This record gives sequence, structure tokens and C-alpha cells, in this order.
Amino acid sequence: MNERILATKGLTVTYPTVQGSFTAVNGVNLELNSGEIVGLIGESGSGKTSLALGLLALARYPGRVSGSIDFMGQELLTLPEEKLREIRGRSIGLITQKPRQSLNPFQNVGTQIGRVYRAHVDASKAQAQDHAIELLENVGINDPQRRIKAYPHELSGGMAQRALISMALSAQPQLLVADEPTSGLDVTIQAQFLDRMWQRAEETGTAVLLVTQDLGIVANYCDRVLVLENGKLVEDAPTREFFANPTDAYSKKVLSLAGERAQAETASQEAGSQTPLIRLEGLRKTFKLDDGKVLSAVSDVSLTVMQGRSLGLVGESGSGKTTVGRLILRLLEADEGDIWFRDTDLTAMSTREFREFRSKIQVVFQDPFDSLNPRWSVEKAISEPLDLHTKMSKAEKAQRVSELLDQVGLSADVRGSRPSGLSAGQQQRVCLARALSTEPDFLVLDEPTSALPPVARVEMIALLKDLRERLGLSFIFISHDLSTVRELCQDVAVMYLSQIVEMGPTSKVFAHPEHPYTRALLDSVLFHDPLDRRVDREHLGALEGEIPSPIDLPKGCYLAGRCPFAEDRCREEPQLLQITEPDHLVRCWKSVEGILSGASVVG
Amino acid sequence: MTIPQSPPVKGEHPLENLADKKIKARRWYHDKLLVTGAIIVGIALFLAAFGEAIAPYDPTVPVGPPSVPPSTTYWFGTDTSGLDVFSRVISAPRIDVTLAVSAAVLSGILGTFIGLMAGFYRGVFSGFIMRVSDVLQAFPVFILAMVLVALSGRNLTNLIFALTFLYTPIFIRLTRAEVLTQRERAYVEAARAAGNSDLKIAIKHVLPNSLTPSLIQLSVTVGFGILLTAGLSFVGAGVRPPNPEWGLMIANSAPQLVLGEWWTSLFPGIAVSLTVVGFAALSNAIERRVATS
Repeated sequence: MNERILATKGLTVTYPTVQGSFTAVNGVNLELNSGEIVGLIGESGSGKTSLALGLLALARYPGRVSGSIDFMGQELLTLPEEKLREIRGRSIGLITQKPRQSLNPFQNVGTQIGRVYRAHVDASKAQAQDHAIELLENVGINDPQRRIKAYPHELSGGMAQRALISMALSAQPQLLVADEPTSGLDVTIQAQFLDRMWQRAEETGTAVLLVTQDLGIVANYCDRVLVLENGKLVEDAPTREFFANPTDAYSKKVLSLAGERAQAETASQEAGSQTPLIRLEGLRKTFKLDDGKVLSAVSDVSLTVMQGRSLGLVGESGSGKTTVGRLILRLLEADEGDIWFRDTDLTAMSTREFREFRSKIQVVFQDPFDSLNPRWSVEKAISEPLDLHTKMSKAEKAQRVSELLDQVGLSADVRGSRPSGLSAGQQQRVCLARALSTEPDFLVLDEPTSALPPVARVEMIALLKDLRERLGLSFIFISHDLSTVRELCQDVAVMYLSQIVEMGPTSKVFAHPEHPYTRALLDSVLFHDPLDRRVDREHLGALEGEIPSPIDLPKGCYLAGRCPFAEDRCREEPQLLQITEPDHLVRCWKSVEGILSGASVVG
Repeated sequence: MTIPQSPPVKGEHPLENLADKKIKARRWYHDKLLVTGAIIVGIALFLAAFGEAIAPYDPTVPVGPPSVPPSTTYWFGTDTSGLDVFSRVISAPRIDVTLAVSAAVLSGILGTFIGLMAGFYRGVFSGFIMRVSDVLQAFPVFILAMVLVALSGRNLTNLIFALTFLYTPIFIRLTRAEVLTQRERAYVEAARAAGNSDLKIAIKHVLPNSLTPSLIQLSVTVGFGILLTAGLSFVGAGVRPPNPEWGLMIANSAPQLVLGEWWTSLFPGIAVSLTVVGFAALSNAIERRVATS
């Protein structure tokens, strides 16, 4: 057994409110040992963040921490503030959810990391600087000499998060508390980050408490799982046991939902017809930036969605997938290319003509709360498209709203509610009902599940699947979540840096990914299986660094800078989307010629 | 299961007491603020409507000997012309408050609408509007008001227009700033995708969500308007005598102050200050309410 680092007894965090005090964390007893990564999961609002902060004897104003925290033989809650400050940062590191907001915008990264170091260790400025460079290098930041001079706004979210972890690690703490450190990061970056963290914990024997909502992360990186429900610890088990045999209700629910998804077949191939519904041809969109540079968001995208089928558009943030969706909806106007809806060219329509046409193409956005007018009731929101496109009477509209609410699984008593009174899952159902109200032929679903908490996400996917089958919906599903795409979509197109790099039936692309980028993406997926952990696997096709800025695009293959298989020809020669099999297209000459080394990693 | 609660320090945690007290103190203060503001504003509005009717004497004709100190017959005394100061003080809101409220409401409506358009349709028009309001706001308000009144003639309608002209840029700026954040939100895009025209989006969706700053500003503007009206009258660019008006009363009686005739300027002075504070307090309280809800 490893050395015990921290133990709490009856740890409680309360917040005084107008109606009396609210207990966010209720008598938690837990232990953390050296070299151990412990996952802390639970629904949003279950007190995860309060508990994480509570371990540092901190609570958000006006909260109050009570109970007992024994950290390496010292009782933290009775320690004077001065001593506590010494422990925080030096012995217990903290990484919070919003990386950019946690960094001081007026100081460069090197100074900030150095300050933490110097606050706890007697070192000169120069030594601290060297230490900062070393740390940045350790967390996998390229060119650390240059990066330590960067200010937070010059860093991407992923880089800022890694700067924070180096800050948290700078004084070599015995315990690291990480509160959803990867939420909002792309999958490949998430994998890079967690790999580093896992390695560091292994090497230095740091205990890590990892707060997360993602079971994949738990299965792949954690040794032990804690489940928090309404402020109470309801489960404390080794990861394998937890996945094999959860004891409490919440864990059972989450795991069974996850299990159902794992067993779900890849979306069936037979469904749908071979009549094209939406056809994009050579779509191109650039944005002029203030400094005169040109950003290519979408270059030469052509794809087809058949009647009654669904296409998943996959890629990391910055790949241009959302722009494609907005081009189809004509929320943006394409620079070049055509959008065919059956036999109509949408790009040739005037704005006024297209406004009438909008009832046929509807959309659901990523952030459900933001996409509902905060002052409008559910009923008003859902019936707005009916007001605009139909001449229904009041009674007919009310009838249609009831029908729609029923279709998306909402009870009739939410009709009069404002969006702020609904959960994220309910809000997104309202958005979906609004999109379905005019019985559109085609839907653009722009990451409709990614802003939802896990349970709501799974329910949303089930709902979409159900609606697809019942109503025969055709849609394009924009997402960075590969497992969702596998379940929902018959076809998939993978985008990287404004281009489609691989396209084909989902079953084929997922079973035999050709393009190195597709492989890396699939490799970054964290499966909910503690017996098949990413950290135990070898990553042949892992990508370096991050998606480059789409301002100065490389001459040759856009992935060449990150691709482990790249050679000179890749950097010189622009890549074309070529057919490898009748329905499978790939933008990589090596793959087309069949000389790409390394077998497919996912079966 | 009961969890043994072991408080870290003896007795209650100091932070909690502090927090509770602070919260209560704040709540009480804000309610106080709201109540005070509402009472003063209520009295001001009441007097604007009925002040002249309930006044004991006619405020525009001499009703007694000049320069009588406050007494039971003349509560606030009489001025050098023998006008009753109390009657004049409570009749003045009919001019002061009516003028300020009309100017504030007019500039609120105008400014909010222009601000909505300038924020929603960014471009040459928007830039032009903003530069014009920059220029207007760069002038000292008081001087500009005097010039406007001097140019257009000294009457009530012109005073209202002058004040409206001066206060509109404030509402343009506030509304535009809010519209700029609102128009980036996804519900605007969703409204467009649903098939709304731009104008419909602006008026149905963006406008109602951008009103809060203007509504808060409205009350403060009334207060400023009263102050400005009184100020203009004080220098002779506002209301004509013998109309009852606070600024005018102070101006007429200021020379008498050195002779010991304090009541003719003190009471209208208090009235102006109280009213301005009342409108400002109301605005402030509403703002806090909105911010915390």
C-alpha cells in the first residue's frame, strides 16, 4: 500500500443562503494515497467542485468548510492562514476548469510559473525561469523558450491548461487537485494532456484527484473512483470493480447508459434511399481579418446527404465543420460553390426567397440556453416558426406544440416555463422541438449534445435516434464526439483544417480508418473499459502539437506538421480527395497508394 | 447517518458570521434604498399632478407682506414679492418633474431605438451615429443646453426638446453596447434560421433583451433633468418668472441671503436635492435588483 497523503473525516462545505444554509458537501470521508489517480464523478450540482476546493480548506465566498482534513499529519482546518498558504501551491496543487481565466492576463507565462516556484522554494529569478522552461517542456509544449514569454491571450485553451498544470506542478506537490481540467479541450489535446498527467503522477508519486464527468477518462486513467451524489460520497471503489459492479443508483444508471451505448450497433447501413437531398459542391469560405490576412474556414468541401440518411461531420475545433453547417443554413454566404437541395440551388436564391424556404431546413445549436430567447416561454419559442411559416389558428398551434413536446419527451407543464427554469437537457429538447415544428426535410445539428451533462447527453442521443427512425429525418450531425457519430450516422466525413480528409460509410471509416488524422482521432477516443486503457496501449499514430491556425495554410498536406508519417512529398504536394473504394474517399497519397505504415488501431 | 461536525475553531466560524451580517446589512440597505427612492419619487409625481391644487395659496400672485420668515400662516415664509414660498415649492414639480420626465422618456425611447439600430446594423450609419453622439457628449451639458434654449427660444416645449437632445446619446450608447453583446448570442442566429427578417429579429428578439440598461438609466436621467432645469432657470435660461420653479426661486432669493432671508432659497434648494437623490436612489436600487436576480 502506498503512503497516505490526505484523509478527510466528515468534510462538510456549507453556504449560507437566504433560506438557511445549503450543504454542498456533506460529511465526506476519503483518503488519497501517493502515486494514485482518483476520479471524482457525479452529476452537475452534486458538489464535486466544492469538495475539490474543500480539500485545500477553501470554499467560494460565503462558503464554509468544516470537519477534518489530515494532510500528511497536519490538520488543515485548524492551521493558521499563513501556514495554509504555504501548503497550497507547494504541497497541494490546483488546476481549475477555465484555464484562461485562471491565468493573470498581465504577466507572461514564465513569470507566473516562476512566481509560484519562488513563493515556495528559495530560488533566484533566473533559476525560476529555467525551472519554468523545464516544466513547460515536461508538459509537452513545443519551443518552451519562446512560450514562456507568451501572455495568456496568446495561448490556445490547451496550451493554457498545460501552462496551468506546470504551474500546479512547479513546486512538486504531493497532491494535485484537478477540476475537470480537460472540459472544452479537443479529444487529441485531451489525450495528450491526460497522458502527460498520468506520466507525471507515475514518475513523481504525486496523488491526483481528478474531477470529471467523463467515464472514459475514469476508465482510462484512474485507479480508484469516488462518486458524489447530493454532497454525499456514495461510492469509493477501485476502477475495475466500479465498472464491473457498481453499488449505488447513480453509478448504475450512468454505467448502464454507457453500456447500452457501447453495445449499440453502428448506425444501420440499409436505412435511407439513394436520392440526394443535400449536395454541397466545391464550397469555399474565407474570412478577412482586421490585419488584412485571410482565414480559410472551408476550402473545397463537397459532400452529399441522401434522403433519409444522416451524415456525421467530425473534426476538432477550428476544423471548419461549424462553418459548413452555417453555410448550408445560409447564416453565412459561401464565397464559392453551390448548395443543392434536391433540384434547387440554394446559393442562387435571394435572401427573401430563402427566408420562406427556411421551414424546410432547420437547425439545433450547441448551447441550448444561449439559443433560446431568455424572455420567451417554451410555448412561444416552439411556435415561432409556425407563426412565420404557417397560417395556423391559435388552437392549431397549441395542438402542434403539444404534439412536439410529446415527440421530444417533454411534459406539457413546461409550456409556460422560461429557459432559465429548465435543465440543459430540457432546453435542448425545446430547441429540437422548435426545429421540428415546421416538419423540415433537413436538419443541421451543430454539436447538440456536447454542452449537456452525461446523462442528458445519452438521453438526447437516444431521442435523436428514435426520431430519425420514426420521422425518417435526414440530417447532418456536426460533432467532435466520435462515439456519438458512430451511433447516429450512416455516413461520416472527417474534417481537418477546412478540408474533408476522409469520407465514407461510418462502419467502414471506423473499422478501417485510412487517413492518419482519422486514425489519431479514433485513437484519442477514451472507451469506457478499464481493461483496455489508453495508457497501456502503444500509440503509433499519435499527433504532435495542435491544429495550426487556418491563416497561413501549408503548401502540401495540411496535416504534415503533426503527422508521424510525413515525408518531403507530403510537405510539397497538395493533397486531393481520392477514391480508394467506391464509397470511401481519402486525402492522403500514402494511404491511396497503400504504403501508409501501421495497421488500423481500432477494430 | 449523522456526521460529527467538528468546527475548526472554537465557537462559530468567523467567516460565517461576517458573511451573514454582510448579507443582511446589504439586503436591508438595498430595500431601504428602494423604499426611500420610491417614496420620494412618489411624492414628486404626486405634487407634479396635484401640487398646485393642494397649495394653500396661489403660487403666482403676492399673498402677503414681503419677506415674512416661516410662520404658521406662511409655513416656509414669503419672498421679496410677497409670494408664499411653501405654495411655490410644492407647485414647482408641475414644471420641473413634468419637464424632466418628458425629456427622459422621449430621449429614452429615441435613444433606445437609435441605439438598437446602430448596434444591430453595424456599418457607416452606425459609425456616423456614434461619432455624432461622441461630439454631443463631449460638450459641457450645461453650456450646450443654454445655447440650445437661447437659439430656440425660452419656452417649455423648447426646454423639453433641448433636454431630450442632450440625453439621447446616453441611451444610444447604453443600448448599443447591450445590443452588441445580445446580437452575438445564439438565439439571434436561431431566430434568423427560423426565418425571421433582420428587422423582426431586432425588434422581437434583441430589443426586449437590451432594455434593462435604458430602464435603469431612465430614473437617473429624470433626476439630472430636474437639476438641469433648475440650473438653467437659475441663470435665466429656463422657466420664466413668475412661474413656480425651484431654480428660479433660488436665483431670485439668493441676493437676499446676505440680508438673513434664508428661507426663500433653502426650501427650494432642499426640494431639488431631495428629488434628484430620490430618482437616483430608485435607479440604483432597481439596478441592484436586476443584477442580483
